[in-house]
Amino acid sequence: MNVLLRMEFAKLWRLSSVRFGLLVLVVFPLLWAYAPGIFDLYGVFLVSAYQVPALGLLSSMQFLLPLLTAITAAELLGVEIANGTLPTVLLRPVTRPNWLAAKLVVAAAYPFILLTVFLVASLLAGAQFGFGQFVGGTGLGAGGLLGTGSLSAGAALGELVRGFSLAAWALVPIAMLAVLLTVAFMNAAGGALATLSVLIVMQLFVVFPGLEPFLLTTQLQTYSSPTADLTWAVALIALYSALFAAVAVVLFERKDF
Amino acid sequence: MSSTPAIASDRLTKAYGKKQVVNDLTFRVNAGEVYALVGPNGAGKTTAIRLVTGLAFPTSGSVSILGEDPHKRPAVRRKLGAVVEAPAAFYPYLTGRANLKLHAALAGGVKDARVEEVLALMELKHAADRKVGVYSLGMRQRLGVAAAVLTHPEVLILDEPASGMDPLSLHLVHGVLRKAAEEGTAVLLSTHHLDEVVAYCTRVAILEEGALIDEVNLYDRRDRYRLRPTSVAEAVRLLEGQPFIRHVAARGAEVVFIPRAASDIAEVTRHLGEGGVGVLEMQRDVFDLRGYYRERVHNERVRRTGTGTNGGLPRFPGETG
Repeated sequence: MNVLLRMEFAKLWRLSSVRFGLLVLVVFPLLWAYAPGIFDLYGVFLVSAYQVPALGLLSSMQFLLPLLTAITAAELLGVEIANGTLPTVLLRPVTRPNWLAAKLVVAAAYPFILLTVFLVASLLAGAQFGFGQFVGGTGLGAGGLLGTGSLSAGAALGELVRGFSLAAWALVPIAMLAVLLTVAFMNAAGGALATLSVLIVMQLFVVFPGLEPFLLTTQLQTYSSPTADLTWAVALIALYSALFAAVAVVLFERKDF
Repeated sequence: MSSTPAIASDRLTKAYGKKQVVNDLTFRVNAGEVYALVGPNGAGKTTAIRLVTGLAFPTSGSVSILGEDPHKRPAVRRKLGAVVEAPAAFYPYLTGRANLKLHAALAGGVKDARVEEVLALMELKHAADRKVGVYSLGMRQRLGVAAAVLTHPEVLILDEPASGMDPLSLHLVHGVLRKAAEEGTAVLLSTHHLDEVVAYCTRVAILEEGALIDEVNLYDRRDRYRLRPTSVAEAVRLLEGQPFIRHVAARGAEVVFIPRAASDIAEVTRHLGEGGVGVLEMQRDVFDLRGYYRERVHNERVRRTGTGTNGGLPRFPGETG
């Protein structure tokens, strides 16, 4: 399993979607940090580097981050299909569940890698505003960007790490779903597209109020609820992830190659 | 040597919907044999190979490698070397050497020295540090064979190993496969190159529409000789039962025989001469697999459809008989 994990992590950096996604997340915060019309549009003055990450996250969690996650998770398997290397690896003494499990672990780790790069890039993009104590909020804590008074650098960073970690956690089931649908379609583009379609359709299910707390798309907003009890959301995200991963493994085990 | 065949396919059937791609396929490959699957495009060769290697699941029937079901016991693949893609599939962004090292890591217990050995064996040392993405088709195929033999497998399975190869590369690959068989490896391959089949395969299965329509033992056919004696009946009588003769039969004005060893040919002429039978002409009885294959496929189509190909299948250039 160690060999497979090392192999899959090494492959991750070779994926074009990873390089593109990381580039986008490095450039994207610059738009917020240097946007001249931000006050006119949102009525916000940035006073600290710690406020830039939240703006980036708030504007990307609905579509951009799920998109980048789904495409890369789908490509993890899809590139093997495209290169024809799927049978090549399976002809070695590697079990199908082990290999897919290694891919699922990498797919699950990817949102954390993505969000870590995003957080660091956002902080660096906001360096002009300084990293010291400031009056206001990070946007991910109580009071939003206005905050509730003075916030120390440590407390601000803590709020950001917590928010970005929750956001990454919420993206994990999307990665699992993308792997599952790529196994089903045996095609990366099909897997990614189907994942986004599922998410878009699921968002429409809010018209059934009873369903809303159970929807995966509802959990995507967990990071922005600093005071809420997270147990339910964290558990539900774990359940979705485990379910999608398990179905993917079962389906992969039965595929003809 | 174990009596368990290295590869055993028992009534293997694969259907996609109503279409049967492999139909009731039964064959055995023993250690030291080179067994070829031949047949027209769409005959089911590739599917059969994928079923045997465990990459695809049979609709019915069973398959075993060294007595183990490759689906239930993936560990048996430690003893298997296989190339099922044509051209052989590798990570294009890795070098030839890095790809082989990856195979070595997945297989486990393969030393770096062995990687260098197979690179040299397949004459790829000069290109070992180039990315596989820039390899020619033939180089990729050779790298595929290098990966297949990396672990000194007991069973080698190759789908179209000759695809895209120049004559020298082809000769090189044949040499490697022949040597592997001589050392006791069971080799199963699919191919369209009937000449290479005759050159070094032990047995050949002819597939048509997913079914095995004929299995030819080339070992006997390859070592066959024919002679034109002054008396056919007398020549057959004299040769029958001799220790240096494995098989003898009359064929028109000729006698066809298989000696125990090629060196026994002189013994045949001497023995006939002593018995008063003159030998007017003697030569190897070259088996025309291409003609045989064409006829068998044609006959099968006639049997199946009632009409077959209009006027029969066209003859191959240079086909004898």
